[in-house]
Amino acid sequence: MFKVEDLKYRYPKGEHDVINGISFDISEGEIFGFLGPSGAGKSTTQKILIKILGDYRGTISYSGKDITEFKDDFYEDIGVSFEMPIHFSKMTAMENIDFFLKLYKNNADVEELMKRVGLWEDRDMMVGEFSKGMKIRLNIVRAMLNNPKMLFMDEPTNGLDPMNAMILKDMIREFRADGGTVFITSHIMSDIDQLCDRVAFIVEGKIIEMDSPRNLKIKYGKRSMTLEYKENDHTEIVEFPLDGIGKNKEFLNLLQTKEVETLHSGETTLEDIFIQVTGVKLKNEE
Amino acid sequence: MKSRLAILVKGELSRLNKYNVFSISILVALIWGIILFFLNEDALGSILPFVLVLDATMMSVMYIGSVMYFEKSESTISTMLVTPTTNKELVMSKVIANTIHNAFSASLIIIVFIIFKDVDVKIFLVFLGIISTTTFFTIAGLCLSYFQKDFTGMLVNIMILMFGFGIPMALYQFGVLKADFWEYLLLINPMQAGAEVITAAFVGYEFTYKYYFSLAYMIIGAAIFYYGVAIPKFQKYAVKQSGV
Ligand SMILES: Nc1ncnc2c1ncn2[C@@H]1O[C@H](COP(=O)(O)OP(=O)(O)OP(=O)(O)O)[C@@H](O)[C@H]1O
Ligand SMILES: [Mg+2]
Repeated sequence: MFKVEDLKYRYPKGEHDVINGISFDISEGEIFGFLGPSGAGKSTTQKILIKILGDYRGTISYSGKDITEFKDDFYEDIGVSFEMPIHFSKMTAMENIDFFLKLYKNNADVEELMKRVGLWEDRDMMVGEFSKGMKIRLNIVRAMLNNPKMLFMDEPTNGLDPMNAMILKDMIREFRADGGTVFITSHIMSDIDQLCDRVAFIVEGKIIEMDSPRNLKIKYGKRSMTLEYKENDHTEIVEFPLDGIGKNKEFLNLLQTKEVETLHSGETTLEDIFIQVTGVKLKNEE
Repeated sequence: MKSRLAILVKGELSRLNKYNVFSISILVALIWGIILFFLNEDALGSILPFVLVLDATMMSVMYIGSVMYFEKSESTISTMLVTPTTNKELVMSKVIANTIHNAFSASLIIIVFIIFKDVDVKIFLVFLGIISTTTFFTIAGLCLSYFQKDFTGMLVNIMILMFGFGIPMALYQFGVLKADFWEYLLLINPMQAGAEVITAAFVGYEFTYKYYFSLAYMIIGAAIFYYGVAIPKFQKYAVKQSGV
């Protein structure tokens, strides 16, 4: 659906490229994630894909046609949520939504969307009086009100409580189940792990690795067994590879001779893999 | 589907209302009304057109400046950029809405005077003058706001421009600058052009080439600013102010 080839970008006043030749494609009906630390170029890439930033190098096509050939009706097809929720603060939630709704040919069922994110009761409140989480939820409604074919979401769960983050993730999954395609950026591992069909690791404007979360775990993850046992008056922790564990003499010996405190198998998280592959931590400040 | 331009204009107008720009302009019209009400008939003849000129020129730039500032502070333009709306529609809707708004505030002043003071004014000419002048200054103010960093910066620039153009215009209107030389030089002053087309609606105005020159100035000037700056520079402005 979207095909990006050797994309490079430098901000007009920037000293060097912040996107350094990335290539990827997003298939129809797929949730494609961009995972990377702050400043990696996630938002910049999204802004290029949605035709807000021009003057990039490389080629980008949508439905087989170069995106520069599309006019403003491109936006009938897509829904966008930005990093920051954006609305007219001195208008009510519903006035905001009604205004934007009229600009599109295709209209979604607003009542249903508003109820889904739990804002229907507050629809006549000024957006300026909304809490941060409410604004983010309204932003999601705004992004979906034209029944888009494709959604672009820049850190959509950032600032949402776990409950609402879960509702949002369900909405995204349902959107895909109905045939929608999603581009999502995040530096929150669990979002990507739970949602994405494929993920690209992005660091300093370069894609370091790209695959499904499952394949990445198979490729980089190690499956292991961790055993904690009592040794004199302290606890010893040892790790064994899961493969062939039944024949591992040392492991079996410990099981038989020691007092076992805990025993659990573990698989490497996507976060561990990210650090292992890129050598960079996802969150530097939090 | 209703025309998108109509929807945008309606949105702009309702925001002028919500963000209290409408109430402020009604207040300003009222204050002018009260001041003018206590003037005697003779002074009124030259002050009323002068007030209308200030309203169509300086106030137009101020109103569009504050509208753009409000919009900037809420970053709402970035959302507009991802709707099917074209840049032309966005810019045009602002020009139309602000011209309607200013024509409305000018009408308030005029209506007060027609009712209470029985002033003699040619309605068609006064609206032609007000609308052409307001359109020119709204577009010019829009272009100006593309280059403003903050609200105070904008106010300072408006003041400088208004004094630079306004004082010579006022001096000439009130007969302080008399030489022929000024007559020609001031033709290039947009505020003078505005004054020319608006005063033409009042008794005693002598129609010369100056009227037609000034009217053409407002209309052609508006078109040049619109097609030369307002439209082509909009995308860059919108992207920059949306925090990208
Ligand atoms: N307007 C701008 N002008 C110049 N450089 C910019 C501008 N906006 C962003 N950058 C730079 O581009 C790089 C990528 O920024 P971007 O916002 O795309 O990162 P991100 O991955 O979205 O980070 P975050 O997780 O913090 O949102 C950063 O180095 C940033 O400093
Ligand atoms: Mg970002």
